[in-house]
Amino acid sequence: MIDIELIEECRGGNFNNFRKLVELTSPLAYSVAFRMLGNEDQAKDIVQETMVTIWQKLNKIKSAEGYKSWIYKIVVNKCYDEMRKRKRIPEFVTDELAWKLISNKISEGPSAALEDNETSMVIALLTDKLSPKQKAVFILSDLEEMSNDGISEITGLSKSTIKANLYHARKSISEKIEKYL
Amino acid sequence: MLQENEKYDKVLYLLKKSKPLLDSSENIENEVIKRIKNIGHSDRMLNEVFDFLFGWIYIGWVRRCLIVASIALVLVFAYQQAIILRRIDYLSRQTIISGKENTNTHADEMEKMLVVLRNAGRRFPSNSITISEKQMKELLESVNELQLKYKDLENMIESDPELKKMIQKKLMENNRIKINL
Repeated sequence: MIDIELIEECRGGNFNNFRKLVELTSPLAYSVAFRMLGNEDQAKDIVQETMVTIWQKLNKIKSAEGYKSWIYKIVVNKCYDEMRKRKRIPEFVTDELAWKLISNKISEGPSAALEDNETSMVIALLTDKLSPKQKAVFILSDLEEMSNDGISEITGLSKSTIKANLYHARKSISEKIEKYL
Repeated sequence: MLQENEKYDKVLYLLKKSKPLLDSSENIENEVIKRIKNIGHSDRMLNEVFDFLFGWIYIGWVRRCLIVASIALVLVFAYQQAIILRRIDYLSRQTIISGKENTNTHADEMEKMLVVLRNAGRRFPSNSITISEKQMKELLESVNELQLKYKDLENMIESDPELKKMIQKKLMENNRIKINL
């Protein structure tokens, strides 16, 4: 649980307290970064950079809630940068293998879960036609289960834009599922 | 459509359930602490230099004195601006006066020319005189020369009483002849 007291203690320059904050914050940041980028190493780099940015701007944090949305904001922006860089290096995704995997997992029932590498493969497969914004909105809304207000605060998009992006993302994913599954 | 949604929900459920887990959070913590310690060191150096150069501005009475001094400077500046504007205004009026003087001098010359022209014009029918500027100047010069010679003549007559008497006598005779006529 991240509380404002811990953040205030970190402001004093205490590394042990900040270590605690990193410990609590990293899983949140990593989850979004990994789902956005689908790469473990890159997601870890994003988490590190995010925590360094937080350390540099600790004085700006006013509340624990604000801190949480601020982390997501930094992570999403850093992921956008990474995705932009990546445009030049297209990745090869084995579609058939991914669809087969999804089919198998669904048939296993509700207890089935994916490994991290499988998750990245499935997300990449489902979202490869989406723009970075659509992908971010889909991940934050449907996978991280955030409200439209929260997404608006993180992405800086208006609620109507979020709804439109989410609609297009869901439609594109649904069409793929319908076609291949 | 229902089936399509069902498939979509199942895939989404699978992805939600497969939350990526950060396995090496300790590595990230260590790396982050290492990075912020390096940043902290260079930041501290900068802060020390900054404090040495500008730290005195944070002293209460110095700050108040600076505020008073800045207000005084603004007032002095405004006063000086007002004086400068007033002087500019005065000087601009002066220029107009000197311009008038110039114009007057020029106008005198012109007036003189016109008088000469008018006198000369009596001898010619109207609208039949064409005279160049050069000719006009020559005419003026000759008028001036004539005036000087007239003054010399007057002086000469004044200085010689016999000559004066003789001239007066001659003039009276001339007048009688004109009256007789």
